[in-house]
Amino acid sequence: MRIELKNFTKTFGELTVIDRLNLTVESGEMIALLGPSGCGKSTTLFTICGIHRMNGGSLHFGDRDVSDLPSQKRNVGVVFQNYALYPHMSIRDNIAFPLKVQKEDAATIARKVDEIAELVHIPELLERKPAQLSGGQQQRVALARALVRKPDVLLLDEPLANLDAKLRLEMRSEIRRIQLETGITAILVTHDQIEAMSMCDRIALMKGGKIVQLDKPDEMYANPADQFVAGFLGNPPISFVDASVVGDTFVLGAGEIAVSANLMGRVPSQLQLGVRPEYFGPQFGSGVAGKITFVETQGRENLYDVTLQNGTVIRSIQPSGQSFALGDQVSWGIDTDNVLAFSANGDRI
Amino acid sequence: MNRRTALGFGFLAPALLVVILFFLAPVVLTVFFAFTNMSTSTGIRGGEYLLNQSILRSIPEDAISTETRNTLENAGYQVNDQGLAKLAETVSPATADELRSLHGGARFDSRRDMERALKDLRENRIRSTRDRKAAADLFNTSILNTRYNTEDAFRAALAGTNVPVGDHDALTSFAYTGWSWTTENMKLLFSLDSSYRYAANTALYVALTLAFNVGFGLFLAISTFYLPPVLASTFRTIWFLPRILPPVLYVLMWKWFTWDTGFLATMTGYLGIAPRNWMLDTATNAWVFVVLINGCVGASLGMILFSSAIKAIPTSMLYASEVDGASRWQQVRYIILPQLRWPILFTTSYQTLSLLTSFEYILLSTEGGPGRATEVWALAAYHTALSNYGGNLQYGLGAAYALILVVIGIIASLLYLRFFNFKELVSKPRIEQ
Repeated sequence: MRIELKNFTKTFGELTVIDRLNLTVESGEMIALLGPSGCGKSTTLFTICGIHRMNGGSLHFGDRDVSDLPSQKRNVGVVFQNYALYPHMSIRDNIAFPLKVQKEDAATIARKVDEIAELVHIPELLERKPAQLSGGQQQRVALARALVRKPDVLLLDEPLANLDAKLRLEMRSEIRRIQLETGITAILVTHDQIEAMSMCDRIALMKGGKIVQLDKPDEMYANPADQFVAGFLGNPPISFVDASVVGDTFVLGAGEIAVSANLMGRVPSQLQLGVRPEYFGPQFGSGVAGKITFVETQGRENLYDVTLQNGTVIRSIQPSGQSFALGDQVSWGIDTDNVLAFSANGDRI
Repeated sequence: MNRRTALGFGFLAPALLVVILFFLAPVVLTVFFAFTNMSTSTGIRGGEYLLNQSILRSIPEDAISTETRNTLENAGYQVNDQGLAKLAETVSPATADELRSLHGGARFDSRRDMERALKDLRENRIRSTRDRKAAADLFNTSILNTRYNTEDAFRAALAGTNVPVGDHDALTSFAYTGWSWTTENMKLLFSLDSSYRYAANTALYVALTLAFNVGFGLFLAISTFYLPPVLASTFRTIWFLPRILPPVLYVLMWKWFTWDTGFLATMTGYLGIAPRNWMLDTATNAWVFVVLINGCVGASLGMILFSSAIKAIPTSMLYASEVDGASRWQQVRYIILPQLRWPILFTTSYQTLSLLTSFEYILLSTEGGPGRATEVWALAAYHTALSNYGGNLQYGLGAAYALILVVIGIIASLLYLRFFNFKELVSKPRIEQ
């Protein structure tokens, strides 16, 4: 089901949290609302499911205008951060609850619960109580409860935040698998860029109640709209370096690199360069000199902080097994084709 | 005992003192009083020994012999050496000598005859009537109408009469006017029709008030939960007033509200209904108001407990039920009420116990009336022991009433402790997540 949010405005008292936001989620697509705390992503999600009311704009599920409908009449499934399972009901009753309140007959309910339990791989847990389940199992139950009445849209509010690292990895792929198998339209709210990038077809990156960029994950990574997007995506994060343009070179604090062909002639004299860690290292030649001030071993690769003479730090990620050590003076190169240039106010050039 | 234990006991001491003084001591005393026949007429210290005509008549036919009875009743007055010696001492030896010569050894059945004999004195007249009466008493050989402070004194007096020794023990016990140990109270309690009436009243009172307390408390808690916060707290404050108002003032307002020139009577008067005391008009009316008066106090406690329990339910769970499609009613029925199970059980059991023993609002409002229609067990205990209309306060019987409540209360508490699995209740929050 296609979800369309038009000119959505939300205010709490005097405070306007979201101002005329537009978002369209295509049918069967999974989209992430990504952003730092307080950017309005959860507010948007709660408005789509009807817990919050809109102060302006409209919301359509397919052709149906649901702007003024209470959540009971919207047919949405929600997975809450703490799963919000009903502690006094068995797992079967928890999953059956959305069907029970619609007064479906017992046989149908039992059949649908069994089907959905099969889908989320918990058929053996149905007679237990929520307190007897692990976090990951509770998550599966919450998914089953959200999906059991075949909602128009599945809304996931930070679903992985309460899980430990290993389970988070497992549930990431599980949620995506279930979403793809059911073909349901889904919206994921998260502040974790890796979750957003690994699970979703598209990401809507939000800041201050606005969508800054809406794009496919790899496109957004390679081609950020502005400095905020570039800084938000990527782990380890991108490094920003002040630079000036002299002829056809960028002059950094301690060295210079060539201006790439695609930027040639479009750059102002003063700007900021964004250098992702994978594009800075000895394999790109030399020319940027500094001292290694931090080494982080990650197993497959090592992460280095190189501090230039003027104090700027550029991060570099290198395959492990190299002989660089803390305190070494190095002179490495930058892959100029993949350097991102930003004007002083953060806009992409 | 090390210092820390001593310190602990030091801090506990005030609480222990209060528990002992106001809980244990009354219970122990209740048990003690319940097995005595203490009343206003026996007093609560020991008693005196007294025989008189009415006590003698109340002694069962076969308890003492007829001979004893006659001896005691007809002992009368005798001019004997003993009496004459006393007369010589108090009046004069001459008087005594004259009386001896006139009536020496004579017997008189009544005091009047004895006094007449004293009037026969010519040379040593006893002029004033009072002195003559006092002199007549010196020749009294009967022990009737005389108070003896100790059992020994009474037995000595008995020994001075011709009463057969075999009847001494029986007479001593009948002559005792103080309290004594008895199990009669319990037997009496279970034989009285009124006891069963009071028990039925109590059951009705507890059941109705409890239903009102819990039901209305729940209604208030749930309805204010769905109101905007400011409105909700205003309502809760208003409904809490009955609890914080002094009981006398609170009941006085109800009385003003219901008496025959009060608000209710005035309002119904406009509808052409004759003014009446709405509270005490009929037994049904009295019950309605007893339940309302107590219920409004109890419901406010339930409201506070249930409100906070509802607030402890995570908001996301309520949101979840809404997006799952549950209506308000379904949300209350399937999500809120099941999670209020423990607060409801707690309130029910706690209030059962407190209602069983509480009578102050009934005392202040209907005083058990009209007739004895709203007299509950605890009120009956109070009336019997401490506020008897007839004036004879039956401490022993009242304590027996109270003892029944103590026993029921202890049994109920133990059952609740077991039922609630108290340890688990205090160790783990009932509302999860």
